[in-house]
Amino acid sequence: MIKTLALRGIVTATVLLTVAYLSAFLPGGVPRWGPWLFLGGMSVILVSTMALGAARDGGIHGLRGLFVFLLVLLMGGFGAALALPGNEGPDSTLLLGVPLRAALVLYLVGLVPVLVVPFFYARTFHQLALRPGDLERVREEARAARQAHGMQPADTVLHGETAS
Amino acid sequence: MMMPQTQELPHVVEPVIVGVAIAYFVIVTIIGAWATRRTRTAGDFFAAGGGIGLIALSLSVMSATLSGFAFIGGPGLVYALGLGAMFIILPAGLTNAMGAWVLAKRLRLLAEVRRTMTIPDAIGARYRSPLAQGLAGVSILVAVIGYMATNILALGLVIDAVFGIGLGWGIWLGMGVTLAYAVGGGIVAGIYTDVFQGSLMAVASVLVFLFTLKAGGGLGGLSGTILATDPGFLGPWGALTPMAALSFFFVFGMGSLGQPHVVHKFFMLRDPMRLRWYPMVTTTALLVAMLLYFGVGVAVKALTESGQLAPLDLADNATPVFLLNYTPLILAALVFSGVAAAIMSTVNSFMNIGAAALMHDLPVAMGRRVRNELLWGRICTVLISVAAAIMAQFSGALVAFLGIFGWGLFASTLVPALAIGMNWEGATRAGAIASIGTGLGITLVFETLAFFGLFSFPTGVTISGLSLVLSLLLFFVVSYLTRDHAPRDLDPDIRVVLRA
Repeated sequence: MIKTLALRGIVTATVLLTVAYLSAFLPGGVPRWGPWLFLGGMSVILVSTMALGAARDGGIHGLRGLFVFLLVLLMGGFGAALALPGNEGPDSTLLLGVPLRAALVLYLVGLVPVLVVPFFYARTFHQLALRPGDLERVREEARAARQAHGMQPADTVLHGETAS
Repeated sequence: MMMPQTQELPHVVEPVIVGVAIAYFVIVTIIGAWATRRTRTAGDFFAAGGGIGLIALSLSVMSATLSGFAFIGGPGLVYALGLGAMFIILPAGLTNAMGAWVLAKRLRLLAEVRRTMTIPDAIGARYRSPLAQGLAGVSILVAVIGYMATNILALGLVIDAVFGIGLGWGIWLGMGVTLAYAVGGGIVAGIYTDVFQGSLMAVASVLVFLFTLKAGGGLGGLSGTILATDPGFLGPWGALTPMAALSFFFVFGMGSLGQPHVVHKFFMLRDPMRLRWYPMVTTTALLVAMLLYFGVGVAVKALTESGQLAPLDLADNATPVFLLNYTPLILAALVFSGVAAAIMSTVNSFMNIGAAALMHDLPVAMGRRVRNELLWGRICTVLISVAAAIMAQFSGALVAFLGIFGWGLFASTLVPALAIGMNWEGATRAGAIASIGTGLGITLVFETLAFFGLFSFPTGVTISGLSLVLSLLLFFVVSYLTRDHAPRDLDPDIRVVLRA
């Protein structure tokens, strides 16, 4: 279910990104909606690809909230930088040393994922990535599958030379 | 990372800098000699015998990702483009975890099931397709030669700046030292020199960042100076348009899944359970190493705006100028060695995957197998390196051209077939071949047209971004049209890996 949803997200985002790029060829250059379309496509494709890779047994236990958060973070952070008026100047109020729109990009979109994403990866590692025994199980299942289909042993097979 | 140094650097021939550089070269040579004794098979040479630890993996990924661009070209780009240049490194908070979720587990399991050594091996095995493996090998070889030529040129420039021996000798000295450990110790030497080089880069980056803050009165002081004269520099997109900046984020984010010199290291981890900490360790290491990228670019901009430094003739001089004027000589020496370290680790990774493409992937794609893969791996490493060094020395502007599209070519040819294909049973052989061919064709044609000034894309459109998107589109469309073939394009043991 999650894989299907993630794949649909990736396909939809690919179409959005293509249209956004093509919009730059319109007379007058990139229209106002071009960057917004690109932002939507880019955010969806990155998060959907992560979800596609993380899914196990049809689920992303413990990561649903993270992926929603990342989608909001990317679209919200970059979106705010796009939407807010450009008023950087000598009188700008600085947030952690940089103007507001720069802070949104550098700290919110750039730094927050550094603190959050690797933590969630580690926390859900045994549920979604690898469990003790997975390696042995996969080796055994793959060997059985090869035998059942009359394939050669693993170290001589690259392109699936089956008996058929 | 792309866009290595192609312009001459200011000469910094000082006894301290020369001494540190010599010590550095001696250390990597010792590591290379040690690694050579551990390299006995082709599996050791190309995949470290599947025997490296987490810290070695993380530092090696960091070193191979960064290249000299993070220390020289990157700060120069920040100086020239403002915050727009940060969009190249901003995705780093996501990319390591994304790589771990999407590829690390599957590639590591695939190596257990099929003894795969290279990324084209993985693609060939996934789609039961020698053609897909061969096309992936060709894409890698094309990008690697260009990437290596530009990196060797950059290394020659750094060595010339430090030793003052001329560019030609700099190129051959740098290539010779790298080759000395790469030929003997293969990827084992590469990994363990990366550990040393990565540590050096991280320490140098933190120290230089502290000096940038000191020179400008903290980040607030730097910002205040710049905002008084050039406020657009600290706008969210810098000198770029929003679409161009976001396009950088997309290409360097999504494209990270297709960088073979980085992702092939997943084959090598001794204990896959240690992958749990891989994103945390690698992301932290990358973040630390990139402090210099941001700090120097912004500091030099502020110092030139306030009149403390003359405006730079060449943006790439930002790091050398800052180091020579605002840091102790020993730190400048460490950074120059760090730059050489970063370039050499990238070159070494490219030597290895280029030799593997030439000696392993292309023959396997043609239904042949080289008998003594270790010996031929070493011979191919020498051949590729000499070819790249000659190209670096004699082909002028062509070198810069070849280096530009490496990242984009890897991304557009490998991301759909590898990253999506390893996670989707519905992907077909025809879809993979179509996407690899599309990425290769679009990138080569449009980069060539752009280089000769015959065609250019409108503002906001990057060739690498467009080719990645179109390659993805073709991958899905052709896979859909040939969906009846999907089950027979997937061997049963590979299906086990995809479902694990």
